[in-house]
Order: sequence, then structure tokens, then C-alpha cells
Amino acid sequence: MIISSVKSSPSTETLSRTELQLGGVWRVVVLNDPVNLMSYVMMIFKKIFGFNETVARRHMLEVHEKGRSVVWSGLRENAEAYVFTLQQWHLTAVLESDETH
Amino acid sequence: MKRIEVKLSLSIVAPLLDVIRLLADGLSQKLAAPQELGDVDEDFRDAWLAELITGQTADVKALLALFDEEFFTEGIVAFDEDNAEPIVRACAAVRLRLREVYLRGLGDDTLEGGDVELEDLAEDVRKAFMCYLFLATVQELIIQHLDSSIIES
Repeated sequence: MIISSVKSSPSTETLSRTELQLGGVWRVVVLNDPVNLMSYVMMIFKKIFGFNETVARRHMLEVHEKGRSVVWSGLRENAEAYVFTLQQWHLTAVLESDETH
Repeated sequence: MKRIEVKLSLSIVAPLLDVIRLLADGLSQKLAAPQELGDVDEDFRDAWLAELITGQTADVKALLALFDEEFFTEGIVAFDEDNAEPIVRACAAVRLRLREVYLRGLGDDTLEGGDVELEDLAEDVRKAFMCYLFLATVQELIIQHLDSSIIES
């Protein structure tokens, strides 16, 4: 996976860790699209984040009704990996800085 | 291994394959839906997009492989734990592309609701919309019968 290739360089890893320490908290946000099925979106949430049925449905409905849902937050490197994976599944996912932290 | 076989109507599905194949060519070079990568480093961004396209290409290849000799002789396609995940993703990719290329004029509300009078559509849009519905049905079938194998894989 793409994230692994970045980790393979020690200098990049060091830089990456430094950036993370300075980077604060990042949010993974899924945006609505009119194409993907609700059942498909729920399945992806369950697979990627390990959500149970109730949590997956809540996030799916939030995407559908409000246009976006924050599905995860934490270190930037992990957030990037989640965004990449969601994009592999053709969901519209973006990375946002959580400025409340 | 869990496996489901579905018998399709050859006369309905076969003409839709032309549309899928046509879009599949484009999906080897371009993402199904544009993605916003924000402030991701430029070199990293190129590798990121290239890997998404590589995965998308492989998924679409798995979808097209469904329509093999057995399909054209018996009308049967088979889903199992190996092909379910790439196929369900490929269906999403092709549906997104169908919207971009053929179905923009229908409007998002119509597309989400599916309330469309087929007779009112131009021939190419009608075929694209039927393809869009067909791929959604494939996704629903896979999710209904094989979602646990996808979630746990």
C-alpha cells in the first residue's frame, strides 16, 4: 500500500513523525454523493473502521442527510491511510485539520 | 467457499456490456470520481493517484471477467469470496463514471430516487441508466450474500 512505501525510508519516517507531533489532530470526512448505495457505504464503514451496524448506519445517514460525516480523527499519517482506503472504495473522502485541538 | 450463481437475461444484459466496456477503457487512466487531496505533498499525491488507478483498473478487470463464456452460453455469472470485493468496488466506479458521462442531465435527486421514465430518455441515456441500475443490483446481491466475507477479509 502507498503508505508503506513512505515508511520504508528512515529519513522520511523521522520527518513524518516530527510532522505528526506538530500536526495535531486530523479528521477523516466522508462527503455525500448521489451514486453510492446506502448499503454499500455502510458495508465500507463496517469493514474499514470496524463499526457495528448502528454506528455505521448513523454515519451513513449523516453523510446522506447533512452532506458529510467525520468518521475518524487522530494522527495525520493514519488519517491519510483511511482517506486513501475510502477513496479506493470510491467514496469521496477528505482530510481536514481539527483546529479544536 | 461461499458462492452464488445468478442467471441473467442475456438479451437484456449483453447490450449493456458495450457501455461498461467503453467506460472501462477510460477507467484505466482516470479516477471514477475526482478526489480532493488537500495539502498532500505533490510527489506523494502522484503516487497516491497512481495507486488508486491501478486498483481501479484491476477491479474493473474482475468485473469484466464475470461475463465469460458461461455467461454468453448459459447467462450465468458467479460471485464468490474472491471476486466479491473487487466487483462491488468496480460497480461503484462504473456507476460514478456513468453519472459523469451520461446521467448528469437527470439531476442528483432523480438519480438517488431512481424515479425515471425510461421512455422519455434518449437511447444512449436510457442504456446508460439501465446499466446504472443493473450494476446497483449486482452490488445489492453481493452485499446481501457476501458482505461478511468482504468485511472480514
